[in-house]
Amino acid sequence: MATTDTDPGATDDAADGTGDVKVRMDAITKHFGRVVATEDVSLTIRDGEIFALVGDNGAGKSTLMNVLSGVYRPTSGQLYYEDRPVSFANPSDARERGIETVYQDLELMDDLDVATNVFMHRFPTRLSVGPLSLIDWDRTYERAAQVLDDLGQEIDPKTEVAFLSGGQRQLVAIARAITFDPEVLILDEPTSALSFAGSELVHETMERLSEEGHTQVIISHDIAEVFRLADRIGVMYRGGLVDVVDPATTARDTVESLIRTGARDGV
Amino acid sequence: MSVIDTSRLPRLDDEVLLPVIDRMIWPLLAVVSLGVYVFVPQTFSNVRSVELILHGSVGLGFLVLAESICLISGHFDLSVGSIAGLSAMVAGLALSPQKWGLIGDPILGVVLILAVGTAAGAFNGVMVGRFGINPFLQTLATLIIFEGAKLTLSTVTVATLPDAYVFPGNDSVTAIALMLAAFLLVGFLMRYTGVGQAIYALGSDDEAARAVGIETARLTVAVYAISGFLAGFGGLMLTGYSSVVPPDIGSGLVFQAFAASVIGGISLFGGRGKITGALGGVALLGLIQAALVISGTPPEQIQLLNGLVLFVAILLYNTQTRLRSRILSTEA
Repeated sequence: MATTDTDPGATDDAADGTGDVKVRMDAITKHFGRVVATEDVSLTIRDGEIFALVGDNGAGKSTLMNVLSGVYRPTSGQLYYEDRPVSFANPSDARERGIETVYQDLELMDDLDVATNVFMHRFPTRLSVGPLSLIDWDRTYERAAQVLDDLGQEIDPKTEVAFLSGGQRQLVAIARAITFDPEVLILDEPTSALSFAGSELVHETMERLSEEGHTQVIISHDIAEVFRLADRIGVMYRGGLVDVVDPATTARDTVESLIRTGARDGV
Repeated sequence: MSVIDTSRLPRLDDEVLLPVIDRMIWPLLAVVSLGVYVFVPQTFSNVRSVELILHGSVGLGFLVLAESICLISGHFDLSVGSIAGLSAMVAGLALSPQKWGLIGDPILGVVLILAVGTAAGAFNGVMVGRFGINPFLQTLATLIIFEGAKLTLSTVTVATLPDAYVFPGNDSVTAIALMLAAFLLVGFLMRYTGVGQAIYALGSDDEAARAVGIETARLTVAVYAISGFLAGFGGLMLTGYSSVVPPDIGSGLVFQAFAASVIGGISLFGGRGKITGALGGVALLGLIQAALVISGTPPEQIQLLNGLVLFVAILLYNTQTRLRSRILSTEA
């Protein structure tokens, strides 16, 4: 099948994106013992864009984003946030900078209720007695209800997460990530567990967040989803970043070929 | 035409049944109290006897509190009884003029018992939290080590302790008040502070807890240190109750501590259970113990019956877990 992109140079310029650089990953390498999860990956994410990261299983997409989330420290390479070099010791550091993540495994606490999950470690407080602040549970439930409402969900914030359906749990994870108005939102396979209606809701939410100026990174297996949402698509193959393309000027076949083989023409 | 809006009625399964299952201790306590009233009525003959039941439970109560916090965090501490015993023995020997006679001030004695307890707990915490040793194996080892250390220090009863040191555990009103205050304070802190909620998070899913920024290794050390502190306090109460430190102080109490926690609704898997429920568990065990003693049951049989109580606790817990799963699966 013929591809529509004929001039690789033009595609590369378009694939640099527009707007200020929000995040720059410079030669990020991550080893787990002898396993090389990502190797020398450099990419930029621009302010306000939706950047999609695609690739086959084991390509290194989640690992790369976990470096940005603060879950992993890179073996080598440097992370830049708004042009300043940063190093995240843990997810808290990343969250403090306004980088929030919706994990592939959701990472929710099933025994606890929705509001507690959304606000864990960041509860609204009242009354400080020495080093201890008391949790304001009324405000916690109120704010949780508000965020869920904004997401179009009628989940009672006092519901135990274990009681929720897969789709509802996904939306609670999203609610947790957007409650504190993040600068950068990372979504790792956010619609994999969702029905069509649920996926639609997530897509609409992402489009709305984009309009509001939030920067988003989505990791996805769903090419259609990625072509609909993304401003730019980065393809990973066996731990390396093989290309960054503009979905407006690139054929799906090209992207699929890159995912499968690491090359544009699939040879 | 139906005049009842059925959507507004409580849904039987998750809005009525489940909360009852989670708070099983209270109906259970009521049922057992009724049974005791019928079969061994002299247990309740007057207010004084209720006071005696509670007073006798104070030492165990602190161990239950220690164990409950540990369980909620997703860990457990088999050594709570041994920590109570060892710290009580060290402090007792230090305070007794007939033994080491190192300190005269009873307040220093309290500081010492709590310090030894906290240090012992922190040791467990570091091994489990930082070195990743399995909690069962770690605290099983320390259960044996601390028990052995206690007996190495003394195989005879340590007496002639300062009155002020013995008083808090000996005076029934003070002892009961301290136990109630401890449960209320810990229950309050667990519910109303970020650290308390973080302990629930750790117990529910430690990976998720790390994902939201909770420093799980540090928190684990803290939980075990607190457990040790409370076990030390338990040792103080046990010492006061008999006014001496017998060589078997604290021995074997861990089993009842587990039983009371589980009966009180604290999950063995972590992440769920209310501290107030554990207090109900203490009351229940204390009640059964008192009824058995007052009814004239021989001590050997009491041990057997305590074992049966633990067995019942396990069965109840198992039923609770299965009922929950069944309700959850019908919801999905």
